[in-house]
Amino acid sequence: MSLRRRTLLKVIVLGDSGVGKTSLMNQYVHKKFSQQYKATIGADFVTKELQIDDRLVTLQIWDTAGQERFQSLGVAFYRGADCCVLVYDVNVMKSFDTLDNWHDEFLRQANPADPRTFPFILLGNKIDIDGGNSRVVSEKKAKDWCASKGNIPYFETSAKEDYNVDAAFLSIAKTALANEHDQDIYFQAVPEPAPENEQRGGGCAC
Amino acid sequence: MSSESHSDHDDPDPPIQLPPLTPSLFDAEEEEQEHSPNLEPNGVVHASPSYSSSAPQPEPSDEVSIRAPRVSSEPSSPSSSGYAGERGSVSSTATSIVSEIEEIVVQHEIEELSIDDQFHDAVSDSHNNVSAVTAKRRDDGEDDGSISWRKRKKHFFVLSHSGKPIYSRYGDEHKLAGFSATLQAIISFVENGGDRVKSVRAGKHQVVFLVKGPIYLVCISCTEEPYESLRGQLELIYGQMIVILTKSVNRCFEKNPKFDMTPLLGGTDIVFSSLIHSFSWNPATFLHAYTCLPLAYATRQAAGAVLQDAADSGVLFAILMCRHKVISLVGAQKATLHPDDMLLLANFVMSSESFRTSEAFSPVCLPRYNSLAFLYAYIHFFDADTYLVLLTTSSDAFYHLKDCRIRIETVLLKSNVLGEVQRSLLDGGMRVEDLPPLPRSGSSSHLGQNRFPSDSSESLRQPNPGIGGVAGLWHFIYRSIYLDQYVSSEFSSPINTHQQQKRLYRAYQKLFVSMHDKGIGPHKTQFRRDEDYVLLCWVTQDFELYAAFDPLADKALAIKTCNRVCQWVKDVENEIFLLGASPFSW
Repeated sequence: MSLRRRTLLKVIVLGDSGVGKTSLMNQYVHKKFSQQYKATIGADFVTKELQIDDRLVTLQIWDTAGQERFQSLGVAFYRGADCCVLVYDVNVMKSFDTLDNWHDEFLRQANPADPRTFPFILLGNKIDIDGGNSRVVSEKKAKDWCASKGNIPYFETSAKEDYNVDAAFLSIAKTALANEHDQDIYFQAVPEPAPENEQRGGGCAC
Repeated sequence: MSSESHSDHDDPDPPIQLPPLTPSLFDAEEEEQEHSPNLEPNGVVHASPSYSSSAPQPEPSDEVSIRAPRVSSEPSSPSSSGYAGERGSVSSTATSIVSEIEEIVVQHEIEELSIDDQFHDAVSDSHNNVSAVTAKRRDDGEDDGSISWRKRKKHFFVLSHSGKPIYSRYGDEHKLAGFSATLQAIISFVENGGDRVKSVRAGKHQVVFLVKGPIYLVCISCTEEPYESLRGQLELIYGQMIVILTKSVNRCFEKNPKFDMTPLLGGTDIVFSSLIHSFSWNPATFLHAYTCLPLAYATRQAAGAVLQDAADSGVLFAILMCRHKVISLVGAQKATLHPDDMLLLANFVMSSESFRTSEAFSPVCLPRYNSLAFLYAYIHFFDADTYLVLLTTSSDAFYHLKDCRIRIETVLLKSNVLGEVQRSLLDGGMRVEDLPPLPRSGSSSHLGQNRFPSDSSESLRQPNPGIGGVAGLWHFIYRSIYLDQYVSSEFSSPINTHQQQKRLYRAYQKLFVSMHDKGIGPHKTQFRRDEDYVLLCWVTQDFELYAAFDPLADKALAIKTCNRVCQWVKDVENEIFLLGASPFSW
């Protein structure tokens, strides 16, 4: 067994249906892209191991369904997340407009200790489409939104062309790691040993 | 059975004498059977519905369907989400939850790979004997994509309520992160609906869930063990975790749902694999009782006396054990020790190699005693098998406990207790071949009285290997209810191999569950015959007797033999049980 510290990070991927969440995952983990659209039902789970400096990190990626009807799964799915990845399609204005919803809904349901510093990251996907001519959300607009949410890191990606995908996920892992304050809290949690009244009586047993 | 045979023991609390077991007790049940809707074709006679039907199923109101992970036999079949599967890839696994289908449907894909499980299990067991339990290797590369992983007959998982893996019996926890997430999603999804998932049956596999606050435990098994047994095993695994960390870990999750428990459990893999292994050989795991090493009454008294001195000097519990058997134990006034705590403590001590090399002082938590706080255990092995555990509430008592141990060791050596322990280990316990005839001459009998001297060879002692004891008696377990102790006969022919022993224990487990079924029980007697055994169970307010006979054994004779076994146990109870100053509450 390696004594090297291993870290597991739970990463939730959110965004409207059809923006390419699953394709990004598929490209990142399997190095594959399929033109065909298949809706994610509920959630898919993939893992990816990577090394950051001297740490072995396992990303446990929760690829959720974008359809509204699955959002009731939220609390169960978001609990204990280390990072939230928001994805929109640069060619679809509505997918950008709903980012506020996704962002706020996540914070509401995941209920992290400090919502202002919870690590998010934004991915603008499908920048390859039509050579960028069908694009309706400018990079500046996206970056402004990120700035307004407390300087969320922003990446423009293409799952199809495998553009920026690795870089984006590496940044996700680093962002989550940076936020991982350490766990010495366990030792503060253990109370002093057994209550006095349970201690031995000693002496005569009668 | 006569109560006079008791008079020459100083029994502190003579149990109420019951009428002997008679065939008429069973006749009554056989008649019941005629209008029982639970007739079984294989000659099973019992008043209770078949235990397999009593396994609770999840509420059908929860419309959840769980798609089993894809199997390697169809690597190219894409999932609904568009993943290509990628079974061979080391770094990736993919699983899904589907939430829209009418009823619980779990696909049986995993079944296809379990055809030669029987063989596989046999092979893995021969590697896995009591002495040879090893922690799984981290680099074995097994994960939910490996065929070997899928072929395992019994998986245990522990995960956090956020889906982070904490422990897996097989495979690397991090590689199983996707699988772990799936399990959390299933549990949380049902929980969201205000319900709880207890178990899911998927063909031959049963998935059993246990939620302990922020810690989720899951067993996936195709061993045909009843739900109650598997759930009990999950409870013990949780208890073992509490032994190591206390329930205070819950507060870490309250403060921080992202909390990762795995670093805190570093190096304890072997403790869990050893516990899981004991589910197939240690009846204490389902009887919730402990067992003693057979010893002359005076020898055990001598050990108890010196332990009592330690208890009087501020030690909470002083326990002298040989492997998983108690030699003697003493508790401070009013302090009580639960048999499950003893099991978990003994497993913790015996499986951790480092305790054997030197005296040790370790924080341990006894879940049934106080699940929130640590006690401190001074642990010392006198030899490879015999060890002393002194428990205290004081974290700076090491030197005091060390002094206690030195005093105890001196007395044990002087009174030759340790020598007697080694002799008892060699001699073994009760053997069905030695069962004395019933009408006893009133004299107190001693364990092994009918035996040849202990240097005689196995063949001398068993002139007829293959037939076990009288009337086809192969094995028995007697559990004294008021002592919280049991005695199990030695295995003898034809229950020779570890595999056969495991099968018998599983049969006992089923018997135990069906006797204790709260919905339809408890029952007094049960007689069942199948192709493997005749199993006879008799429960009174004093004891429970589980006996296994040759499948062709005569019923009336078997019943008579059970009476003889009970009488025999009573005759030698001074030697096989720890009587008197037990710190157990009953």
